[in-house]
This record gives sequence, structure tokens and C-alpha cells, in this order.
Amino acid sequence: MKNVLLVGAPNSGKSALFNRLTGLQHKVANYPGITIDVGSGALRSDPRAQVWDFPGTYSLNAISGEEELAIDALRSALADERPAVVAMVLDATRLEKGLTYCLQVAREAARSKKPFLVLLNMMDILEHNKLVLDLDGLRASLGVPVLPVSARTGDGVEAAEVALVSASATQSPWADTPDALIEGSAQQIADRFVPQGELLVRRQAKIDNWLLGTASGGVAFVVIMTLFFQAIFTWSAPLMDGVEAFILGLGAWLVPLVPEGIFADFFEDAVFGGLGAFLVFVPQIFVLTLIIGALEDSGYLARAALICHRPLSYFGLSGKSFVPLLSGVACAIPAIYAARTMSSRQERLMTYVAIPLMPCSARLPVYALLITVLIPDTTAFGGLVGWQGLVMSGIYFFGIVSALIVAAVASRLGESESRKQAFILELPAYRTPNVWPIIHASVNRAGHFIQKAGSIIFTVTVVVWFLGYFPNGGEDLSASWLATLGIWIQPIFEPLGLDWRYGVAILASFLAREVFVGTLGTIFGIENADDDPAPLAERITESGLTAASGAALVVFFTIALQCVSTVALLARESKSTGFAMRLLLSYLVLAWIAAFAVHGLVSLF
Amino acid sequence: MSLWSLSVGASASVSSVASDSGNVAAQRLIDIGFRKGQTVSCLLQPGFGAPRVFALGNATYSLDKETADLVILTDDRPS
Ligand SMILES: Nc1nc2c(ncn2[C@@H]2O[C@H](COP(=O)(O)OP(=O)(O)O)[C@@H](O)[C@H]2O)c(=O)[nH]1
Ligand SMILES: [Mg+2]
Repeated sequence: MKNVLLVGAPNSGKSALFNRLTGLQHKVANYPGITIDVGSGALRSDPRAQVWDFPGTYSLNAISGEEELAIDALRSALADERPAVVAMVLDATRLEKGLTYCLQVAREAARSKKPFLVLLNMMDILEHNKLVLDLDGLRASLGVPVLPVSARTGDGVEAAEVALVSASATQSPWADTPDALIEGSAQQIADRFVPQGELLVRRQAKIDNWLLGTASGGVAFVVIMTLFFQAIFTWSAPLMDGVEAFILGLGAWLVPLVPEGIFADFFEDAVFGGLGAFLVFVPQIFVLTLIIGALEDSGYLARAALICHRPLSYFGLSGKSFVPLLSGVACAIPAIYAARTMSSRQERLMTYVAIPLMPCSARLPVYALLITVLIPDTTAFGGLVGWQGLVMSGIYFFGIVSALIVAAVASRLGESESRKQAFILELPAYRTPNVWPIIHASVNRAGHFIQKAGSIIFTVTVVVWFLGYFPNGGEDLSASWLATLGIWIQPIFEPLGLDWRYGVAILASFLAREVFVGTLGTIFGIENADDDPAPLAERITESGLTAASGAALVVFFTIALQCVSTVALLARESKSTGFAMRLLLSYLVLAWIAAFAVHGLVSLF
Repeated sequence: MSLWSLSVGASASVSSVASDSGNVAAQRLIDIGFRKGQTVSCLLQPGFGAPRVFALGNATYSLDKETADLVILTDDRPS
């Protein structure tokens, strides 16, 4: 068993190479610092070797929590007795930025008697632009093996695999080099060998002139973000209709096959009513992840971070909060991980405060359901915009604005008036997004949701069904155990105009927001025992949910932190359970007050 | 003069990076190549005080004012 440690600067193509070497599909992204955990996989050509994809760092001197983790992980991997080879991935087109780190790691590797070699990546770009790099000269100066590769085309990867497997520790010229000399040598090597490729920078600058120009940049940003939110709804609509039709069809076909009685009831209410109501939203989650992935890989997100830096700093955040916040539109979990790249603890904590308010995709099913119930499916402005889509955008906007306001307030309240943190962000080259890894990541995310449906949501649905069905065999929901429980918590939700059925669904949704839809689906399924399977929205409409209560529900869901996984991860990442608990409580109280206010307001009309 | 005051399209060579009392940002700038004698140029100055874009070799970085002010340039040199 041999370990291959892939290290290098952010965006040098480590994950892309990792995918080539292992045949796995790790997420690649054109945004500095996107690898968050050390991924691993067996080398394709020799499964006895295990490849490790380390998070990118620019040097062994860490400036952020993420870098510290990465460097600690690397140091302990080097200290490990087992055989390992260190492979430094360098971006041939931006050689200078990785050289200091390269020599630092070469020295550490030499000290721990581990073989060290350089994988010179992105050779395809050099070739494409007819730029030359003196490989032999570079080898001689570095005193270590240098293998030209391209993770994009696969050129040179086989030779690299052979070199990785057969590498053995040799005398390294860097074993005893002091820091100052490392910097000097990095500089000399860069001066001698960096391909003179003004060309590359210039092409990128041309696009940046547009996307970062004072006026054009702002317009582009607004257009891209608008398209982003529109796409989430319009692109996924046909897919969602398809899934819904499929589930209803399946239900109509399967349920009659099950003998009448408790089993048929269970199937219809819990499985098709509860679980089915949730599964309808999986396509939307897929599309959302897909678009964020494509934006990231194109190189635009780093620009968006730059554009947002100033505006966000008024809210106690920074441009580096942008990617975590945008990821929060998909799910708070990856968003919290993405905040690891932030070097300032203060700004990171503020980002944590804002993330739970970002309209995550788990809220989507809830919003979509309530909108279908409350807002007529009509268009405005001569058919240009649908009211439902407009209201959905409004809800998203409300979530984002409240995230910013809360962050601003929290950062003003924060005790430490800590110094503003430096903003250093590498702008990656623009690239055509690499389609397959992005699709793969999106399928994974959708799959993750389905898994969640299979575990948490299914369990909750079954429990809710059980409590609602007994003790009277589904004859009378209002006399069930569930109703007893619901009536007990009724006082909390009554001021919002919500009866106990919603109270129970909200209570269950503190495990995960999507549970709300499944739970309601089950409850209404039991209530309408003899009906044909019908979409949940129809049943809610029939039950007569008022506009004021619907609005209160929406507001409650935009603010409340109803997600066990988020709370747990916040506690872990902030290294403070108190912080996570305070957030949970504050958002609960705030959500209730805001919902109460909105209920009162809407009732006036 | 500091890197922040470099006008768009101009380049100059780095004279020093103010690394007062172990400033992590300064150390990072040095690690990624902002070192004495290196040529840097300013590519873009987006409006409203947004971070500016600088080229160093083939890489581009965006730095905010506080950070760019850490980099001291030798006298202007026409590019
Ligand atoms: N043209 C080209 N692009 C590459 C190559 N290797 C990686 N990339 C792209 O560079 C970007 C960063 O790659 P990634 O693997 O995420 O870098 P990491 O941060 O080091 O893991 C992505 O957009 C990749 O598609 C290569 O050899 N050639
Ligand atoms: Mg990576």
C-alpha cells in the first residue's frame, strides 16, 4: 500500500488530475480553494496505491482556517511511517504562483524521506497558445522529476502514473534550505522559466473589462443572477411535472393492487402522499446545483466575489462570503464548508449567521407548495411573467435581504471591533465548464436528497402516519394521537391562524424543512381516506388555508433554522455549541414574531 | 508609492512588501510572488472602490485597498 499525496496551489488542477488518476468524479471548480476535504481513491492503474487530493494552499504559512487544516493534514501525512510519494501539481501557465510552496514542500518531503515529484499541469493551454517551457532546464533547476501533464486532455497522465508508482526517495537539493533561500530560489526559477505569456493575461483582461467594468459589470451581474434564479424555476418545471405525473400514475396503478385495509391506507397516505410530495422537488435541486457548478467552473464566481466585496463589507461580510452565501441557495451544508476559505474568524462567523437565512433548496418544496395554494397561476404584463414565479423571486429576495440585515446587525453587536481582513483573491482564467464532473456533482446532490427522503423523511412520515391513523384506524383524524399532540402545541401556532395539523408539520420540520411537505401530505392523505390520490396543493386549498396564515407560514420558513444537520455543522465548524444554539433560538423567536406580524398585516386586507 | 495608486495599464516594479509585525497578508503576498524587483501591472479598476485587479507574471489577483497598500513600488516606469 502506497499513498500518493496530491498537493499544490488552489486552482492548479489537483482535483481534475485526481479524477484522471483514480477514474473517480470529484468536483472540480474554477474558484480558488474549493476542495474542502481530503478526498481519496485508488490509483486506476495500480489499485494498491491510494491517491489523496489535498486542499490547495499557496504556502506552508497558513492564513485561513481551511489552509491550516490542509497543512496539518499534509504534515501528518508526511510524518506517517507508511510509504508515500508527494506529487506537487503546478499550473504551467502560472508557474510562479506555486513555486514557493513547491520548494517548501520539497524540503519537508526530503526531511521525512518521501519521494517528491512535480506534475506540471495545463500543458494543453501552453501548447494551444504555442508557448514553450524549457522542461529540461526546469528539471535541472528544481532537482526533482518534472512530468508534463494535462488533466483536461489526459496527455502525460499514463507516464505520470508510472512515475508515481515507481518513485523512490533520492537526495534532494532542498533538504536543508532555509526559508529565505527558498524564496530567492523560487524567484530565480520563476524568472528563468515562466513562459512569457502576456497573451493569456490579456485575453482574460478583455473579458474582465466587460464583466468587471463599472457599469457593464453591474449590469452583467444582475443579468446573470436573474437568469440564475429564473432558470431554477423554468428549467426544472417540465422535469418536476414529469416526476409528479409519474408518482401519481404509479400510485393510481399500485394502490388498487394492495388489498383494502391498513396496508392500502399506509401505501396511499404515507408512501405516495408523504414521500411522493417531497420527491417532486428533486429535479429543482438538481438544476440548482448544476447552474452553480457551471458558474463556478467558468471562473465567473471569483469575479462575482470581487464585485460584491464592497457592498458586502457594509454588512460585516466580505467578497469571500459571496460563494458561501450563493451555495447557501442550494444548501447550508456545502455553504458552511465553503466558508472555510475565509481567513478572518469574525467575517466567517458573520457568514455563518447569514447562511441559515439564505433560501436553501430544502425550503423550495415548502414555498412551491404554498405558492401553488395561495397564488393563482396567471400571468402579468401581457404574459411576460407569471405571478407564481414573481412571488417566488420575492420570497428569495426577502430571504437574502434578511440574511444581509441580520449579518449587519450581528456584526455591529459583536464585541470585537477586529481589524478588517485582507482581501486577496486569485482570479482564475475563464474556462468552458467541464460538463461531466458538474453533472456528476448535481446527480450526487439530488441523490443525497433522495437518500434523505429514504431515511429521515420516510421515518418521520411513517411515525406521523402511525400517530394519525391510530387508535381509530384512520376513521377520524381529529381523534387520533397525532391530534392530541397537535392540540397540545396548538397555542404556539394559533396566533398565526394555523391549526394543529400545520403545527405538527412545523414541529416535524425542525429535523429538516422538507419534512413539512411530507408530513402534511400524510396528514391530508389520512383525512381524505376515500379520495383518489390528488396533489397535496389541491387538498390544502380545499381545507381553506387563509392567505394571512399562508403568508405567515412562508415568513416563518424563511427565517427559522429548521435543520438538524445545519445546527450540528455550525457547532462543529465554529467550534462553539453555544453559538449554534444561540442562532437556533434567535431565529426561532425572530421567525415567530415576523410570522405573527405578517399574519396581522395580511389579515387587515 | 503603493500598488493601489498604480493607474490602469501601467506597470512598475516592486520595491518592498511592508511586512510589519508578522502581517499574514504581507506574508501571503510575498509567497505568491510579490517580491522585490518583480513587475506588476494594474489591469482593472472597477468602480465604487471595489478591489482592483493586478497582474503578476501570468497570474491575476484582486486586492483591496488595504492589501494593495502593503506593496510599495519603485518609481513609475513606463510600460
Ligand atoms: N485547460 C485545462 N484546464 C484544466 C486542466 N486541469 C484543470 N483544469 C481546469 O482548471 C480548473 C481548476 O481545476 P481543479 O481541479 O478544480 O483545481 P484544484 O483547485 O487544484 O483542485 C477547473 O476549471 C478545471 O477544469 C488542464 O490540464 N487543462
Ligand atoms: Mg480541488
